[in-house]
Amino acid sequence: MKIKTRLLKYFCSIILLGFTTIIKSQTLTVGGTNWTVPIAPITEAGNNYSGTYESAANQILLAASVPLLLGNAKVSVHYEPNPAWHNSLLLAAKRTGNGTTLCVLCTITGGTTYLPFTQTAVELFRIQAVLALASYSNIPIQIQLSGVSVTTPVASYNSRIVFTISGL
Amino acid sequence: MNYFKILILAVCLFSSSLFSQTTGNRTVGITLPVVTLMDIEPAGNITMNFTAPTDAGRPLIAPASNTSKWINYTSAIASGGTTRRITASVNQVIPGVNIRLQASTASGGAGVFGTPNATVTLSTTAQTIISGIGGAFTGNGSNNGHRITITLSANTYASLSARTNTPVVITYTITE
Repeated sequence: MKIKTRLLKYFCSIILLGFTTIIKSQTLTVGGTNWTVPIAPITEAGNNYSGTYESAANQILLAASVPLLLGNAKVSVHYEPNPAWHNSLLLAAKRTGNGTTLCVLCTITGGTTYLPFTQTAVELFRIQAVLALASYSNIPIQIQLSGVSVTTPVASYNSRIVFTISGL
Repeated sequence: MNYFKILILAVCLFSSSLFSQTTGNRTVGITLPVVTLMDIEPAGNITMNFTAPTDAGRPLIAPASNTSKWINYTSAIASGGTTRRITASVNQVIPGVNIRLQASTASGGAGVFGTPNATVTLSTTAQTIISGIGGAFTGNGSNNGHRITITLSANTYASLSARTNTPVVITYTITE
């Protein structure tokens, strides 16, 4: 009888640990390439830069997974000066596609129009897992930079665009 | 069963990682270069003629001031960098004639525009007509930037001589 109890505990342990492994936390992988904004030189006195620049539609590729038990997750975006940025340079991001997933019922919503972001994270889009692990890959993100002007001091500016996935 | 309870607790704690966050990043970079551009709009020469008096004893009649030209510029400087100025000079001075120039305050565009100096009498030595230009653009073409007023007047009659088609080239330079 004692042996049977121990076997049952052992069996339950395996099941629980296995289940825990399956329901691992949401993950986010950021791929694609860094964006160096191409600035065409000004050739006519009196003119300013065009002001607004867009990256390739798939400049950044996100891979995100949301466990079934979590249900919903959001992907947020913000920037971090690296090392210097100027407040007049305005960043925005949008999702230009859904990426690919094997989960038929899972959904990805929001973020299909440019969303301005600052150093405070804002929600870009959501992923909902339905009856399965919601795993999306190659979610394309396009970046927009506006506010480029000769009135901004001459310098090189760089920022990290940080994406974060978290539960709702 | 204590072992089983501890195991469940461990599983619950481990599962709390469900609410952890995962992040990643890509960078965006932009380089804004130094820009120093200036031109005069619209293109083309201007003609200013004195008119002879019709009554003996009266002075020459000076031409009306010309206000058809505009200075356009685009300037980008580093933070705390030296501001720019615009100078003007002529290739020759006509004896007995003053050529005066006055720039107006800027219109159009945005940024730190230059401040017009007082009216200057042009000579072959460059003189500052606008100073303190920071990061700015005036807009392109007429009615953008600083309107220029050019005035001709006779100064020393003893130096005057009759002449026709005397071209005087005004050179504008933007510099630090």
